[in-house]
Amino acid sequence: MTTRSKSTARVFDDLRLVGRQIYYEQLSFWLNPIAAVFTVGFSVVFLVLLGATGGKSHVGFLGGIPVIQYYVAGFMAYGVMATCFNNVGVSLVVRREMGLLKRIRLSPLPPWVMLAGVTGSALVISVAQVLLLLLIGKLGYGVTGPYNVTALVIAIFVGVICFTALGVATSTLIPNQEAAGPVVSIVFFVLLFLSGLWYPLQPGSALARISGYLPFRRLITATFAPFDTRRGVSGWAWHDIIVMAVWGAAAVIVSVRRWRWAPHRT
Amino acid sequence: MSATQAIVVEGLSKRYGHIEAVHDVTFEVNAGEIFALLGPNGAGKTTTIEILEGFRERDSGRISVLGYDPADRRTSRELRERLGVVLQELAVEPFLSVQQVLTRHAGYFSRPLPVNNVLEQVGLMDKAATRVKRLSGGQQRRLDLALGIIGNPELLILDEPTTGFDPSARRDAWDLIRKLTENGTTVLLTTHYMDEAEALASQVAIISGGRIVAQGTPESIGGRDRGACRIRFWLPPGTTATDLPVPVSEGAGDAVEITTDHEIEVLARLTAWALEHQVNVIGLTVERLTLEDVYLRLVGYEAGIAAGGET
Repeated sequence: MTTRSKSTARVFDDLRLVGRQIYYEQLSFWLNPIAAVFTVGFSVVFLVLLGATGGKSHVGFLGGIPVIQYYVAGFMAYGVMATCFNNVGVSLVVRREMGLLKRIRLSPLPPWVMLAGVTGSALVISVAQVLLLLLIGKLGYGVTGPYNVTALVIAIFVGVICFTALGVATSTLIPNQEAAGPVVSIVFFVLLFLSGLWYPLQPGSALARISGYLPFRRLITATFAPFDTRRGVSGWAWHDIIVMAVWGAAAVIVSVRRWRWAPHRT
Repeated sequence: MSATQAIVVEGLSKRYGHIEAVHDVTFEVNAGEIFALLGPNGAGKTTTIEILEGFRERDSGRISVLGYDPADRRTSRELRERLGVVLQELAVEPFLSVQQVLTRHAGYFSRPLPVNNVLEQVGLMDKAATRVKRLSGGQQRRLDLALGIIGNPELLILDEPTTGFDPSARRDAWDLIRKLTENGTTVLLTTHYMDEAEALASQVAIISGGRIVAQGTPESIGGRDRGACRIRFWLPPGTTATDLPVPVSEGAGDAVEITTDHEIEVLARLTAWALEHQVNVIGLTVERLTLEDVYLRLVGYEAGIAAGGET
């Protein structure tokens, strides 16, 4: 075999390994009831409850659209963030402190394959949630849209990459697995609250301006844009996507600089 | 490195800030042998092993592991294809089944052993479908061992492999390790159990304060085969220590002890005296220094002259 065909074969082998990693990441996720309930279950339960209690009301400053249009998009964003930021962040801390990452590092599995498996699995779970929430919104509450499917796909995809990178970066900042769950969850829910997940923020308000610097708010507004029924409003939220990309890039830099394979106790 | 040496370490040194974790460590491990690295916590065992695994970088020294420099990133994947590692910490995914964990890990290697064979070898065949979190501590440790050998390694590095095993599981693990070496696998092992080193290893090195303080076979290390002998027995009824033909030190109750380099002569005088006086020397034992005696002497001595850092 020539060197080139050998290296091509190696690339295909590695891509097959990525597929296997995604499969086992999926198994690990769905077989862990707490992770599955807190990630997927929460978004579904919140959407159903909010839709049942206030779904028919309208938001004046969003051109009087039904608030459920906003909540469907908001909880799609929540699903992506919970999967990629919360779940990836906490599970990487736990795996590192248990010694699982060290074991992987000492195996022939290339590190990029492991990270591609984590990211790919987060993408699969995110897409499944987006479709499930869309189905619930449409069948249960008469949600319309998305009016720009491509814009929604791009927003979700960039969101997955950005928040997975943020999850990885956050995992490098937390030294022990006992702290990982509480710390990530508290930060996550406070930022979601400030970012207008539970209620649409008045554009131009102080809270909207401040949370606009954060990617949490940006993913919510980017996901909402394709569901925004106001005349003349574009489904493309480029500004939000650029802000997420910048956060994602910063998270990659932090991750590369701070990443460690070994538990802190050794 | 010749083909018969699996590991060559020459003048290995590593510092963490002001602490010298490993200093000028030199040893060789022949292919197919079991080599035990003994030492107290913080002696430099784990640092040495992690450098050999390519997990940590050395400050100086020459290292060859299966012909590779573990610090060379270009060949690290090739080296890891041929290397099996059992870590000190219990590192197993809790939610997957035993079979799933092993099958996933096997997929990282190009020539893994069949999963069922390995399950059989570590005695977990009947637990194949059990979730890892439902295994006992000892069973999880056996799964750890299974993960170390699933890649069909030429070199297996075992960092305290039987900690947490019950006595029968320990014997089974020893049998498995011996079987691996019969098939040509080289084993580098660290352990706190002297009986484990004695039962398994053909070569032993004792490390203390980051330095190798003794090296040799378990039978001869630290002059064990040439050093003093300990003779113990009970004072025969109706006699005192002063009646004996040789000087003794008295222990608890009627027990007495003689430490001597001339055990044949002492035993001859003692048995001749017993025959002459028609007395029975009850509980007579003759033993050389144990590996643990040698270990404690070497480690204790070294601890006095060199402060070991946390490694």
